[in-house]
Amino acid sequence: MTQTTEDDRLLIEAAQADPARFVGIYERYVDRIYAFVRRRTENRAAAEDITSQVFEQALGAIGRFEWRGAPVVAWLFRIASNALADHWRERARDAQVTPPDVPDPGELEDIDRRIALYQHVEQLPELQRQVIQMRFVEEKSIREVATALDRSEGAVKQLQLRALESLRKSMGGHD
Amino acid sequence: MTERPLTDRLDETVDAIVARRDATDALRDPELAPLARIAADLRHYPSPEFKASLRAQLERRASMTAVTTAIRQGFTTVTPYIRVREAGLVDFLAQVFDARETFSGRGSGGGMHREVRVGDSMVIIGEGDAGGGGVMPIRPVAFHVFVNDADATFERAIAAGATPLGEPADRAYGERSGFVADPFGNHWYIATPLGRESVAGALRTVTPVLHVKGAAAYVEFLKRALGAIEEMRHDEGGQLRYARLRIGDGAIELGEGEPMPGSFLLYVGDPDALYQQALAAGATSLMPPTDQPYGRIGGVEDALGNQWFFSRPVTTSS
Repeated sequence: MTQTTEDDRLLIEAAQADPARFVGIYERYVDRIYAFVRRRTENRAAAEDITSQVFEQALGAIGRFEWRGAPVVAWLFRIASNALADHWRERARDAQVTPPDVPDPGELEDIDRRIALYQHVEQLPELQRQVIQMRFVEEKSIREVATALDRSEGAVKQLQLRALESLRKSMGGHD
Repeated sequence: MTERPLTDRLDETVDAIVARRDATDALRDPELAPLARIAADLRHYPSPEFKASLRAQLERRASMTAVTTAIRQGFTTVTPYIRVREAGLVDFLAQVFDARETFSGRGSGGGMHREVRVGDSMVIIGEGDAGGGGVMPIRPVAFHVFVNDADATFERAIAAGATPLGEPADRAYGERSGFVADPFGNHWYIATPLGRESVAGALRTVTPVLHVKGAAAYVEFLKRALGAIEEMRHDEGGQLRYARLRIGDGAIELGEGEPMPGSFLLYVGDPDALYQQALAAGATSLMPPTDQPYGRIGGVEDALGNQWFFSRPVTTSS
């Protein structure tokens, strides 16, 4: 996933001229920021809370943001890093909390791989996608998913297997 | 021994991954291992509902920001309005914070109306008994203000007649700050960030601070009444101690404490709509929106005595 600095420049200029266009920056980077934050938080709720803070802060600061050619995502990672430090400091009032480093190239590659996977999830047949979402996002048991989809548990297990096999193939795995 | 079906083995592995139990056994099963790796990555799959809801939230706030920017350049959505009985506050702010008066004029009630820039922030000061349209009480307000050198600014404030409320010290929340009351009783929490983790990055030079009783419930009220967005909160002993809220592209901070209500001007595109929204959330009317020579304005007071005026000026100014 290559981001060009020219794209970044256009996104920033558009959002500075009209804050309603900030959603373009959000759409482009939300998955990366969420992936970065999620690895450094204890649960999904905390990751969602901090991801929201990052984009709220970025929107608030967009008018004052001076673009000097660095990728926009680097700016967002810095905001996220500070928000994570706030988060952990609140949980350990007396401890020294150093903001985490922004991701190194190895982690960026890992984040991009996951984002590609998540995009493949969105391409799955609707029932398979629902099973993945209920199992991994909502953390429902097979029984709960079966009830919600009005299917047998065996059928849901089959859908889960097919979804994961399809994702493995999409990600370059072999049969 | 008959091997159990792959569907069942995979399901147990997914259960273990979601519950953060040990799932490494799966990696020794050649049929299961590649699927287990995919499943492990899916544990962090972002919720589509969360992404859609955050997008909608950003769009709402962006539309408010766009309106304010278009309405009054240099202002954010929330501008504190300080009522004082006599002149002198502008001089104090100039001496201590290098503030600059950008506009002054006589208000319709006969008092002076002054607009003052402090760093990248604006405050409005109404002087005289008749200022603020007669509905804004004369009362002190509290502010969090970021400066380059909290100690030097604190000293300047004392020299300019302020009363110390707290000597400069390094605070656990990531700033060095000292607290003063100006000669009119307004509180200024003068801060310099300590390192990158300070809240300063999220705030402008001056941010109003509301001390309230029942802070947690009040935050919920502000969300309903003004569309405020909670950006940060710290609870202690089951009580909200501190919260930072966004309203449009402006911010306020609030915390549990001896009440110190204030008056605020919100530049918005549709003052009537926000007035109605605030009333529906439980605020009481101070003045229904009406057209004035300077624009359309209406105002409400909430249960804690804070006043919120919604204004759409007729002209823009810089």
